[in-house]
Amino acid sequence: MKEKHTGDFIPLDISEHDVIEAMKHIDGYIDITPGDFKEVYQAAYDMAIRRLFNSLTAERIMTKSVLSLKQEMTLVEAAHLLAEKRISGGPVVNLDGVVVGVVSEKDFLQEMGFGATPSFMQIATHCLNSKSCMIGRLHNRTVGDIMTKPPVTAGLEMAIGAISALFAKAKINRLPIVDDDGRPLGIVTRTDLAHSFNALGEGPLS
Amino acid sequence: MNYFQKMKGSGQSPPKVGVVEILWSWIGSFLGIAAVAITHYKMLDETGLMMIIGSFGASAVLIYGAVRSPLAQPRNLLGGHILSAIIGVTAFQWLGGTPWLAAAVAVSTSIAVMHLTKTLHPPGGATALIAVIGGQNVHNLGYLYVLMPAALGAIVMLIVALIVNNIPKSRKYPEYWY
Repeated sequence: MKEKHTGDFIPLDISEHDVIEAMKHIDGYIDITPGDFKEVYQAAYDMAIRRLFNSLTAERIMTKSVLSLKQEMTLVEAAHLLAEKRISGGPVVNLDGVVVGVVSEKDFLQEMGFGATPSFMQIATHCLNSKSCMIGRLHNRTVGDIMTKPPVTAGLEMAIGAISALFAKAKINRLPIVDDDGRPLGIVTRTDLAHSFNALGEGPLS
Repeated sequence: MNYFQKMKGSGQSPPKVGVVEILWSWIGSFLGIAAVAITHYKMLDETGLMMIIGSFGASAVLIYGAVRSPLAQPRNLLGGHILSAIIGVTAFQWLGGTPWLAAAVAVSTSIAVMHLTKTLHPPGGATALIAVIGGQNVHNLGYLYVLMPAALGAIVMLIVALIVNNIPKSRKYPEYWY
């Protein structure tokens, strides 16, 4: 995975020249200087972005049918379950149903000794050269042993602006959404987030 | 940006308007000023009443030449002239013995009041000033100056603006009433 340079992002900017060209397309004398118009435009644009980022909350973009894994579940069972449901991770709950961690493919790979971000080819190469394939290490361990803890979670009201900031800051890919008691209500993945940004671009969500 | 750098001006001027726009500005202002001037010279000349004051020339620039401007909207046109006329007459009646003070108070106070009431209309400042420096004919009117020429003249020019500015496809007037 390449490192992201979030600082390089350049927000949409218009020049006074753009404004003058646009003014030429409007009949009649417009009683504002291009510089003032640009200032108004930029302030209004910022407001619109902020409004959009604050208008969509976790409740509206999360995947609701969240699959929780039990802390005591063996890794083999967990792997079966994740494979069957075709998902790559989820929240881990204790006996009370409270989220105590998050487990993902990354945790499995790390447990197998591949480091945090191996490529598929690294794994394939390794497995072709050694019959054990390191998968043996996963026996007799439980989800609780390898999960990432403490979990980074959020409530229903967190807006997508804050969620994306949290993803970047905590370096996570999925965010369990929990109720006041810490029980899972849903999960926001990077995919959910990407869909929500796409939806913002297309206009108001129905 | 420091004090002297500000004086250089760093912005650019808006583009020039098209020939059609200029033509409609000419037609509108010709008819608007003609309407108040004909009333003034043909009907009121002998009566001591007035229908035209210098500030209407400035109003014409806005309501026929810068139709979209907030400064040119009916609220500003009527509010600006009427409020400034009241302030101008009052300033003359209270402070007329010191003309320079009456003049300064009239203009500055009308600008402040127009801002406060969201009726800023630059010619209003002239309407207030004329109430002080307009000479005997103006002074004789007293507060009638507010109704006529200020209010009535502005109304006549507004009616002409409504008629003329909505003829070309490229124009509409007003943007808002109040």
